[in-house]
Amino acid sequence: MTTHPPIRDAALDWAMATRAPDFADWDGFTAWLEADPAHAQAYDAVQAALEEADPVLSAISAPEHEAAPEPANDNPPGWLAGRRAWLGGALAASLVAAVTSVLWYAPGGEQMFRTAPGETRLIALDDGSTVELAGGSTLALEGARAARLEAGQALFTIRHDAADPFVLDAGATRLVDAGTVFDVRLSGPTLDVAVAEGAVIVDPEGKAIRLDPGERAVREGGRYRIAAVDGAAVGEWRRGRISFDGASLAEIAAELTRATGRRFASTDTATRLSGSIALDAVRADPAALEPLLGVRITRSGDGWTIAAQ
Amino acid sequence: MPVHARGDHALLPDACLPNPNKLPMAPTTPLQEAYLAHRERLLRFLRARGGGEAAEDLLQELWLRLAAAPDPAAAANFGYMMRTADRLMIDRYRSERQANLRDKAWAEAQPGVAEGIAPAPGAERELVARQEVARLEKALAGIGPRAAAILRRHRIDGATQRDIAAEFGVSLSTVESDLRRAYAALIAFRESGQ
Repeated sequence: MTTHPPIRDAALDWAMATRAPDFADWDGFTAWLEADPAHAQAYDAVQAALEEADPVLSAISAPEHEAAPEPANDNPPGWLAGRRAWLGGALAASLVAAVTSVLWYAPGGEQMFRTAPGETRLIALDDGSTVELAGGSTLALEGARAARLEAGQALFTIRHDAADPFVLDAGATRLVDAGTVFDVRLSGPTLDVAVAEGAVIVDPEGKAIRLDPGERAVREGGRYRIAAVDGAAVGEWRRGRISFDGASLAEIAAELTRATGRRFASTDTATRLSGSIALDAVRADPAALEPLLGVRITRSGDGWTIAAQ
Repeated sequence: MPVHARGDHALLPDACLPNPNKLPMAPTTPLQEAYLAHRERLLRFLRARGGGEAAEDLLQELWLRLAAAPDPAAAANFGYMMRTADRLMIDRYRSERQANLRDKAWAEAQPGVAEGIAPAPGAERELVARQEVARLEKALAGIGPRAAAILRRHRIDGATQRDIAAEFGVSLSTVESDLRRAYAALIAFRESGQ
């Protein structure tokens, strides 16, 4: 349906005007709406066009230089290939800053890092490897070659050393790298490991599952499921986007809380959804999840409740 | 367009709040007072905004939103109430078009995921989303980099036109005309996707 151009232009003007925080001509706007029912329809169409474009727009322009601690990374499609180039280079200053934010030194020489929901942090290891910690996550470092993810999610960019492999304990599960960029998410009993570069061995002394680039292992209920993953999408949370793959509404609520710092809750563990969403839109307006996920969002206290429709 | 009451009031914890439409006694809070003082204007707006005969129900829903506002003093402001009413109608329009939207873009329901080795069910949707991004990039290429940057500052970062003018070192009318062109491009983008 196309709208008569003059009406559409007027609707566009009103949409621009009402967005200004000091807009005051609400009676003038009401009068314009009352003049013709087509006006409200045109205004709705304009607002819908703008709102639908928002998540796409934020996906375009939440590039690395913004999500950053990654400077001058202007090669989005192949950005992983270029990662090594800047490691240890221009980043030195920001890495130092990040390293000083160690939360505490635990007994035994462990360094603990913890992020608040919605916060992310870049951690530099002594050997040039990096760990990017997502919101609501806790990581313990034991030197440069061993770490323990206690909760949440992190993207590891590890300098490979066959003689001294990097060992990560994700909850109770051990992962060993073989020269690697990989993302690990731990949420209650669910473990999700996705590899962008190199390889990771999951549970080397038990199941010994080898994950190559573009592969992902999800453990739920004690069983592993191996799936394909787009290498460029690994660690996409750093660029303001998260994906769900058959996640329950309760899991989605927990993930969104961790990623956005806004409070989401759901008691629904039966309804499962898959998809990918841009977080900017959700941060700006949690109700935006309704059309994105096809769920119902209601305000409750200072949080938001997600329910199936 | 048919208008439906959403019928989810009972699910809102705020539903137990006093309802000033039915309150037999005098209003007690500044928010209730302001709401009652502006009730007719709000109702008129909702009716004209596409609410029609459902305007009274929508007014109820508006009250629930206002009562749940984090800052009741701010919510008692007429502009805030009108803006919330406008938002209510925007949300409503969007949820009525939801099924349509879901097919097109970002996410959709998936009836569970099979065990075993399988292609990621998210991959195809991710591809669609990327195509959408590429399509929008192309659509915005025609408006020039400044207009595209201004659009992002305004829509995504929420900067006001005045702040953007200062930041980009251009006049307010330049920001306005850039935004108008950008908005027109977004509308064309949407129409071309349907």
